[in-house]
Amino acid sequence: MRRYVVKRLISLLGTLLGVSVLIFLMVHLIPGDPATQILGQFATPEAISQMRTALGLDQPLWQQYVGFLGRLLTGDLGTSLFTGESVWEQIVTRFPITLQLAIFSVLIAAIFGILLGTIAAVKQNTLVDRFVVLLSLVGISAPGFWIALFLIWIFAYKLALFPISGYEGVHSLLLPAITLGMAEAGMIARMTRASMLEVIKQDYMRTAEAKGASLVSLIFSHGLPNAIIPVVTMIGLQFGSLMAGAVVVETVFSLQGIGSLAIEAISKRDMPTVQGMVFFMALIFALTNLIVDLIYSRIDPRIHFD
Amino acid sequence: MKKSWWKTGPLSVLLATAVIAGCSSQTANQTTQPKTDEAGKTSNTLVVSSLIDPDTLDLHKTTWLGNENGLLYEPLLSRDTSGKIIPGLAEKYEISPDGKTWTFTIRKNIRFHTGNPVTAAAVKESFDRMLEISPVKGIVGPIEKVEATDEQTLKVHFSKPFSPFINVVISGMVSPVDTKAAKELGDGFGDKPSGTGPIQFEKRERGASLLFKKNPEYNWGPEYVANKGPLHIDNVLFRFLKDDDTRMMEFKKGTIHVLHDVPANSVAELQSLPGVDIQKTMDIGIKYIAFNNKHPLFSDVRLRKAVALSVDRDPLVQVALNGFGKPIYGPLAPTIFGYSEAIENKAKQMYTRNVAESKQLLADAGWTDTNNDGIVDKDGKPLSVEILVSQQPAFTRAAQILQSQLREAGIDLKITVQEMTTIKDRISKKSYDMALMYYGWYDADILFLIFEKSNAESRMHYTRPELDDLLNKGREASSEEERIRIYEQAQEILLNDSPWVPLWVNEVVTATRGIKGFGLNSYTQYFILNDVTLDK
Repeated sequence: MRRYVVKRLISLLGTLLGVSVLIFLMVHLIPGDPATQILGQFATPEAISQMRTALGLDQPLWQQYVGFLGRLLTGDLGTSLFTGESVWEQIVTRFPITLQLAIFSVLIAAIFGILLGTIAAVKQNTLVDRFVVLLSLVGISAPGFWIALFLIWIFAYKLALFPISGYEGVHSLLLPAITLGMAEAGMIARMTRASMLEVIKQDYMRTAEAKGASLVSLIFSHGLPNAIIPVVTMIGLQFGSLMAGAVVVETVFSLQGIGSLAIEAISKRDMPTVQGMVFFMALIFALTNLIVDLIYSRIDPRIHFD
Repeated sequence: MKKSWWKTGPLSVLLATAVIAGCSSQTANQTTQPKTDEAGKTSNTLVVSSLIDPDTLDLHKTTWLGNENGLLYEPLLSRDTSGKIIPGLAEKYEISPDGKTWTFTIRKNIRFHTGNPVTAAAVKESFDRMLEISPVKGIVGPIEKVEATDEQTLKVHFSKPFSPFINVVISGMVSPVDTKAAKELGDGFGDKPSGTGPIQFEKRERGASLLFKKNPEYNWGPEYVANKGPLHIDNVLFRFLKDDDTRMMEFKKGTIHVLHDVPANSVAELQSLPGVDIQKTMDIGIKYIAFNNKHPLFSDVRLRKAVALSVDRDPLVQVALNGFGKPIYGPLAPTIFGYSEAIENKAKQMYTRNVAESKQLLADAGWTDTNNDGIVDKDGKPLSVEILVSQQPAFTRAAQILQSQLREAGIDLKITVQEMTTIKDRISKKSYDMALMYYGWYDADILFLIFEKSNAESRMHYTRPELDDLLNKGREASSEEERIRIYEQAQEILLNDSPWVPLWVNEVVTATRGIKGFGLNSYTQYFILNDVTLDK
């Protein structure tokens, strides 16, 4: 196991190097000049030219990349062109909200998705099953901003149980987490249902039933642990993408997470912030995948890494 | 006995969440808003919903000035609500006969938020810092030097006369900054700014809110307000809510007092609510179609005029803006110095929609509909042009209306929606046909900043030596009357050449609830908070 982890971490370095090239190229290929953005509507061509020189944007691309990589290796993600703050500080300030949001939404999605998927499989071809399938379809297909506004209108505006927007403590994250978790719950429910239907047909399930195991024990001790293996992989991957993809939800709920920072930085062409953030998210995504793979071996004893 | 993962797993995740939530309590506290039952009642805090979180509160490092960062500072001169120039931090000002020296007499007994005194020397230091580090130092004109001749007298020397300086001063871009504090704090001054405005900095939660408290020393309120002393309210909280539906719900719920820049399609709904006051101010800029004047098509004035004559501005204002705007035909908005009613009337006469004339101009340029498909063509090629439009709903709606209007004249308009940053980039690289753009400034000198040859390269790529001469003269003319006359001539050239198509001036709508005494100054674009009180 240790050898496997070391091998994966070494390959992670290669991945991150590739990511750094891609991020750098993408950020520099997006149309839009940061110098013009910084100087505003009254910028003269001379001032723009001076600013480009000051930012090092007049240097050849490879030189700029070498500079970027050099700073990256020393752990320096750079400084925002607009706020003057260190990119690392911006990320550290905003990341906890996005992380909490991602954890809450994955929890909500996993609990509801697995529960509903299991019920649907056990009650296959009944009204309950059809209802769950329909519900999961709604969860997957309803647009995030629509669910967000619907939840705000009922629970924050009408019932005043939560703040409409902003962060006033962990409870402020419940509505955004439900919004984010709905689509994930739908997908998890569908996958759990399909996986559970496979498992239910297995010989060991029939054996357990013949030996007199109760329905609860049959499902939760014999069925679910086997059915859940592919679901865990999906949850892990979703967790990674949730951390990077909470943009709409953060905007509607006015949460100052990584998503809203990304939108601001991209629209202003704040290159160091965009580069630093994408790199950080790529690192988180890769680490999440590694953790999921490790968890996999715990769930499924047939999997060995050595 | 080994425990199954699924029995301990969820518990571990819950515990981890709790730990993370606990660890991030600092972040939670940082972004917590003041505890109030309803909009600020318990703490006498005025809560304002705002769209833009300024990059910095350091006046000399920003390129954007709004209520969110501008109310920290007080200009040397201002305008009242009728547009008349009034004293600010300067009791009076004088321009030398040659127009090269401006003398300001600074009020006595004024202090910065830190307690440092505001003297002519302090204001000089502020000017020097601005001229050294501001990214927009170009707008202050050819300043040679600034000197403080005594405790109260400040002299600004120009290498040549620069009349737009009056509106640069009024804009707040050169308002005195506490340079002593700036030196002590270095780069941190943006996070702990000090000016002389009615509010002073208290706390910032980047992206979420800005909290200011009243300046208790303030007693230099403008002459058009009743309360010249410290504000009646204790705090002003700007909350940055970018989603229109969210900020509307916050306002309706009563958690914010001032909803600035109300979405046009929501005004009627708010007007029907009890206790809601709606105020409108005319913008200090216009929205316009920018031609690429170097494009093979639009280098021909007949095609530019054909487009201009195809446009009907009334439906744009009524439909795209829900009526909250004013059609504009000439280059300047009524709130900008240099606006001339005579020019506006002439422009209206020249460019009121006339499809027949538009088609005639196209035909004169060789564009006729030879295949009866409704689109004119030349040498077998249909007249198809692209318009770049940013994602703002009003802009995209306007572009659709323009598309149908131009089609009636036989022009096929293709709409491309892009980010404004990308649009500006394409404009500067001349990689565009037409774009829906805007400008905003207090003075007719904006025409210099857009059309003078050194600036035209990054904008519409239209240059004309006679126009440059006039725009330079407009900067140097000493009297207001002379300036207006010069700008009228410059505007006539623009009318005849039609390098752009002015479309409309926005009416900025602000809704207030639960407060009294709130005002807006159309000529400075700032909130008037001096007389604001919260309802009990």
